[in-house]
Amino acid sequence: MSSATDHAEESNYLNAKPGLMSWLTTLDHKRIGVMYLISILTAFFIAGMLAMLVRTELLTPGRTIVDPDTYNQFFTLHGAIMVFMFIIPGIPAALGNFVLPLMLGAKDVAFPRLNLMSWYLWVFGGVFAVVSMVTGAVDTGWTFYTPYSTDTSTSVINMTLGVFILGFASIFTGINFVVTIHKLRPAGMTWWRMPLMLWGLYATAIIQVLATPVIGITMLLLIAERTLGVGIFDPALGGDPLLYQHFFWFYSHPAVYIMILPAMGVISELISVHSRKTIFGYQAIALSSVAIAAFSFIVWGHHMFTAMSPMANMVFSALTFSVSIPSAVKTFNWLATLYRGHIRLNTPMLYALSFLFLFGIGGLTGLFLGTLAVDVHLHDTYFVVAHFHYVMFGGTVIAFLGGLHHWWPKMFGRMYNEGLAKLACFLIFIGFNITFMSQFIMGSLGMPRRYYDYIDAYGSYHVWSSIGAYIMAVGFFLTAGYLIHSLIAGKKAVENPWGAATLEWRTASPPIEHNFHETPDANYPYDYSVNRFNPDTGNYDHIGAPAQEDDDRAVGFHGHGLESTT
Amino acid sequence: MTASGDGPDPFTVIRSQSGPDRDQVNPPGTGTLGFAVLLASLSVLFVASVAGYLYVRINASQWPPAGMPGLPMSLWLSTAVLLGCSVFIHRALKAIQKDDQKGLRRNLQWTLVLGSLFLVLQTLNYVGLAQSNLTAKTNLYGFTFYLLTGLHAAHVIGGLIPLIIVTHRARRGRYSSFFHPGVTYSAMYWHFLDGAWVVLFAVLLIGS
Repeated sequence: MSSATDHAEESNYLNAKPGLMSWLTTLDHKRIGVMYLISILTAFFIAGMLAMLVRTELLTPGRTIVDPDTYNQFFTLHGAIMVFMFIIPGIPAALGNFVLPLMLGAKDVAFPRLNLMSWYLWVFGGVFAVVSMVTGAVDTGWTFYTPYSTDTSTSVINMTLGVFILGFASIFTGINFVVTIHKLRPAGMTWWRMPLMLWGLYATAIIQVLATPVIGITMLLLIAERTLGVGIFDPALGGDPLLYQHFFWFYSHPAVYIMILPAMGVISELISVHSRKTIFGYQAIALSSVAIAAFSFIVWGHHMFTAMSPMANMVFSALTFSVSIPSAVKTFNWLATLYRGHIRLNTPMLYALSFLFLFGIGGLTGLFLGTLAVDVHLHDTYFVVAHFHYVMFGGTVIAFLGGLHHWWPKMFGRMYNEGLAKLACFLIFIGFNITFMSQFIMGSLGMPRRYYDYIDAYGSYHVWSSIGAYIMAVGFFLTAGYLIHSLIAGKKAVENPWGAATLEWRTASPPIEHNFHETPDANYPYDYSVNRFNPDTGNYDHIGAPAQEDDDRAVGFHGHGLESTT
Repeated sequence: MTASGDGPDPFTVIRSQSGPDRDQVNPPGTGTLGFAVLLASLSVLFVASVAGYLYVRINASQWPPAGMPGLPMSLWLSTAVLLGCSVFIHRALKAIQKDDQKGLRRNLQWTLVLGSLFLVLQTLNYVGLAQSNLTAKTNLYGFTFYLLTGLHAAHVIGGLIPLIIVTHRARRGRYSSFFHPGVTYSAMYWHFLDGAWVVLFAVLLIGS
């Protein structure tokens, strides 16, 4: 049995090798995860500030701070940077890179060099995308729809080239995760005994590998169209702008699941660990991830209801509804896990509960949009913007924050200020709902998205929306503050502060350079009877699997520090 | 020994035994699986390109447009040459599985020669078409042709460079029946290029 104090003086992955170069040339998945974390948070900061500028401009009708062209660039850059540089790589590349090998009890991913290369590609692509801000920006909206994107004088090529390169980073992460999960599971970890986070990452990786090449060719075609002008998206020359939309959404709809599936994986871990109860419906949650991944490839047409034939619309509408089934399966299983659990209302759990609430709204409003008759009215209004943000922010970003707070002690070996963290979570939750609930209302009243100006009737909704955005910003700055503070002055984290049963909690916080002194043998990841709370250290010591191996899935663990079931 | 010959590199294993226990030693078949997933990803690229071609082709009233040259007949020759690559790389793999170093080198060299010849032939095709006033900028007929074949040619170039390295290593006797991942991956890749070309060529033929 080992406790955190045994490892207190030991070197860890953060201090094992000094100097910036040791980071830039590292093959350690944990360091690459941290580098990805810093990178994506930088992108999140830039794109978040752009969102604040957008909301500030919309505070009053007409000009508030900038002219219409600049405003178009603000929301385009906000969307493009958020989607391609933060939400898509966010959970897999930052949190996933850090926890995936640890959860497998492995030393690293299968291809560490490819992993480092993925990060460099991200930086390279990111530079292209961000540099476009100063070389004329982009004003097409993050979807780069033709024909406008082939005509506008802004630097579309820079941005699309950036997206093209970022795609490779995503594919390489996907290949690494698929192979690592197939090949590096430890003895005792069958597919059905794998943490659900890994199922989420696995399903995500499949989509990354099989959908991302399509955005590659789409971006290439767009660049070719801008440079050669041969007319592939121009009906006058035999092309078709709809071809662009088909291509774009054939990637970008699955990409929505690249964003949400790992979030669902995170939530499965948080809910089970922090309600101290084995996950309900393990196989249903695992298989629904795979089902969502499969469905994700056949629903892209629902972005184009106002552009396709009635027959195609009906097919895509029906397919779209079917995606809600696996999503609902997950949600009910999470609720059933909470039922009669010993819920700890700490920060990760508060984020997990926020996720259930916000993703629930995001998912259900998706059904409105999947309904043809309703969509014709709601298409291109703020209702779509609100729906998208409830799923992408209320789902993915909230899950990312929950996961970050859950794994923060493991990543950096420090505890953050719990009181401030709860306050920040509350501010973000309240601010978010104010921002986007008002957008649901004004969208259903007909306020079109992307508009610079609006009639006075929408004025109060826009003001509320902007106020909500500022509240969120305060929450985020607070989060940045206490997390940075924890790195300097936070209480030292024990090995397993939450009493989780997955393998990453069986090594020191932060982990040693090669993760484990000896490969841990895997138990069922939601069997909390393998731990015993030690009141002296505050750690949940690993005491091994109970004697009745066969029954280990059914064992729930009620309360802190109970004796083992043997 | 593994069927795919991509077990741990004997050199790496020796290194990791003497150094800190940092190096991940992957189980057999890891590299092959990774490479197969990469090829799956690449095949999506080609499928999407073909889908784009078909979309444009179906919308077109006349194909090839009036006054435009048809597909060059020498594409058949290119096809034969590329099929030859597949044959030789397959024989190279079979040779090293039997520890036949000489056979490995000879067959790898033939693959290199034919792969390069394929690129030369494709270039000649392009030159011929350009002389008939069909370039990528002419119209969608030209653009889609150059896009599909150019995408493929880019991947042939991307296959020749590692093949040169593998051939060089084979000359230095780096491979054995126990360890020959480079040969395995090259074989997978050239079969993939071959398959992709056959599909592309068939689509272009049917489209015309």
